[in-house]
Amino acid sequence: MAKIDEQDILKRIQDPQGKRRAFEEIVNVYSRQLYWKIHHMVQNHDDTDDVLQNTFIKAWRGLDNFKGDSAIFTWLYRIAYNESITFLKQRKQMTSIDDEDFVEQANFVADEYFDGDDTQELLMQAVSTLPAKQKQVFCMKYFDDMKYEEISDLVGTSVGALKASYHIAVEKITSFIRSKE
Amino acid sequence: MIMSTKNNRILAPEGGRYPFKVSDEYFDSLTARIMEQIDSVEQECCEQTEEVPVQKAKLFNINKNRRRGLWISTISIAASLVLIATVALKFIPMPSSTPVEQQKAATTQCMQDTYNEDLMTYTMVDNVDVYYYLSAEDFEE
Repeated sequence: MAKIDEQDILKRIQDPQGKRRAFEEIVNVYSRQLYWKIHHMVQNHDDTDDVLQNTFIKAWRGLDNFKGDSAIFTWLYRIAYNESITFLKQRKQMTSIDDEDFVEQANFVADEYFDGDDTQELLMQAVSTLPAKQKQVFCMKYFDDMKYEEISDLVGTSVGALKASYHIAVEKITSFIRSKE
Repeated sequence: MIMSTKNNRILAPEGGRYPFKVSDEYFDSLTARIMEQIDSVEQECCEQTEEVPVQKAKLFNINKNRRRGLWISTISIAASLVLIATVALKFIPMPSSTPVEQQKAATTQCMQDTYNEDLMTYTMVDNVDVYYYLSAEDFEE
């Protein structure tokens, strides 16, 4: 993750003259990491792009209220998480079918941004069946190789709860894959 | 290989690669696109806030044009109400006085009766004398 002088950025955010430039730096530094965090939940490039833009627009509007109580990326991540949840709810309403049916129809091989084999497609289908929070925890642990302490700081959940969540997610994924064999 | 179902190892303990990729061009232009989006949103907000005074000004102009008519209407309605009230006061029979005043009048009458009785006692005039004087007056008339 690229480093940024958060204190300096916070000072510049307070200054109306330097606010836009400071925010541009924030976008530049964190957009890539945030993209993949959103993609873990949404699992589609175009939708991730939409959610990412909405996240930064919300962040820009709430910039005056951000006083640096948390790290900038944590603040952005929480906005992104809420935006992703809102988006998933809307998508579920639009499909007008329940989540399981929707997941069964997910076809990652047809996705031009998918870069995996059949086994990885099966894994992603299994991940798709997880609830949003479990999906995030699983992806951050399994794919991003983050430590539980880091995930805890980011999502605001205790390490114990995260371990339990990850364990349940692994069991569900294992069960899903075995059912497909 | 992230996982091997043949040896019953579903997930690799060391984790796996996230099987999606996005071109570098997408990320290269991402910041510019997002800032452009933010600028357009800001512009929309500014236009909306600018539109409000314009709308107010239009409303103000309309009021200004209609102000004279509104004043005339208001004055006409007020004058009509005064006229109706005046006419109504003339034709509607009003009680001579309020209950309080009636009570005061009754009290005063009562006090006058008491005064007359006292006066009759002091002048040693009884009811027979009063009838006599009254009937004498009637006779004279």
